[in-house]
Amino acid sequence: MSHSHSHAPGESHSHSHGPPQPQPLPTADPALLAVIEADFRPISVIVAADNTTLLCEPHKQEKCPTCNLDYVHLNRLSKILAQNPNLKAPPPGNVISKNLSQAVNNTKEEGNAFYKMHKHKEALGRYTMAASIAVQRPPWESNQLMREELSTVLSNRSASYFESEDYISALADAETVIAIRRNWSKGHFRKARSLVGLGKLDEAVEALQVGLAFEPNNAELGAYLEDIQKMSKEGQQS
Amino acid sequence: MHLHDIHVMNWGFVSDRNVFRDSGQLITGLFLPQMASVLVPVAYIIIVFGSLFIFSYFYRKQAASRIPEPYFTSHPERNTYVTLLQKTDPPTPEVILKSALVRRAIADVLRVMRIREDKPALQNLVQKGSVGDDLLNSLLAAEKEMEAEIIEVMNEANSFVEGWGPIIFPTANEMIANEKMRAIFEQTGDRRTELERRYGRKAQNTPNIAPITVTMTPSNSVPRAAPQANEQTVENAATSDAESQSKSGKKRK
Repeated sequence: MSHSHSHAPGESHSHSHGPPQPQPLPTADPALLAVIEADFRPISVIVAADNTTLLCEPHKQEKCPTCNLDYVHLNRLSKILAQNPNLKAPPPGNVISKNLSQAVNNTKEEGNAFYKMHKHKEALGRYTMAASIAVQRPPWESNQLMREELSTVLSNRSASYFESEDYISALADAETVIAIRRNWSKGHFRKARSLVGLGKLDEAVEALQVGLAFEPNNAELGAYLEDIQKMSKEGQQS
Repeated sequence: MHLHDIHVMNWGFVSDRNVFRDSGQLITGLFLPQMASVLVPVAYIIIVFGSLFIFSYFYRKQAASRIPEPYFTSHPERNTYVTLLQKTDPPTPEVILKSALVRRAIADVLRVMRIREDKPALQNLVQKGSVGDDLLNSLLAAEKEMEAEIIEVMNEANSFVEGWGPIIFPTANEMIANEKMRAIFEQTGDRRTELERRYGRKAQNTPNIAPITVTMTPSNSVPRAAPQANEQTVENAATSDAESQSKSGKKRK
């Protein structure tokens, strides 16, 4: 049963209808509520014809710099809710959509297969597709999943770029991985590798040291650090 | 005239002590002679402290009634939500109201996080005396207002769906993290150009698939594709179509 209620400023009311709520929530202090009501300024906004988007009133745009309004996220959420009418409200974070993880995983495995065959163009395509699927996860799900999936896919993509000798893109991806998942050693490892590819050994050493600050006993990072230091000594001697 | 001057001078010199003695006798003469030596300092203390108390009482009353400056500027998400709620012809669809409520919850969570970060720092500054405590009062007032706001949002959530109230704020937390990750991912292209500029090299093999910003709506992925449409873009659109259809069917697992 849907209900619409109009809410004039200055009124505070508690909603209870039908079966009693298991745990009645406290009502807020009316003095503070009055302050909140006083702070209200109406915003000119209209609902678009498809009944799921908000647009700003004068310019009919989702994201309007002149009105200083940005409804992109709101519209995204309302579209998801509209397409799933059995979803009355965003569920708690542990309700996940299983086939999304599967899709991401499958595409990533395909990419891995291409990577092993050294067909890097195809591998890159697969990895990019996997990443865009991973990003489409409904936003209310536990963000740990998206974090892991996205960082893994991008790390593999960075490796693929490295093998195709496109060190700039590899570095961009590695930095994205680090920004998403700071304490993962692979992200720092990939960044150091791409910097070595670019010839910047000092920055690579710095990146590895940052990685070691997060995971002090990581063997992979430590070994690579020694390699780079050996390389830079040889470079200095020659 | 000469004699007069001397006479006046003599009179002035001698009379100083006389004046003191006279005024002292005047004051003490008001009270009983036996208690004269005790009451004078007592009366002095009473007058001084009394005036101090009276002044501080009125000053504190005035200070308490002064309303602190608002710590945050207006709350656009809250305004949007209430505006939508008040629309009656035609009334806004529920999906939009729910989404607006979730956005309001997200904005509240961000504000609470900011208040929690700012409070100890500001308290430190006020303790050291670097800043006046006006700002601290504003912060404390904003904190109280946020508590009322949170309760209000939870009540509104419960009015849509029973039991949604306690869930909406964890949902808001997850959505904040999700949006942050998405934004980072979508900025990868910009990061790439920045690095190209910094290291003077060009990237090759840039992926031709533009980031898809609207989920699960098949038609939207095509317009946002890059101009060089190659088989990768088409594949991506096709796969996302399939994914979206199967996803919407089996959402609530």
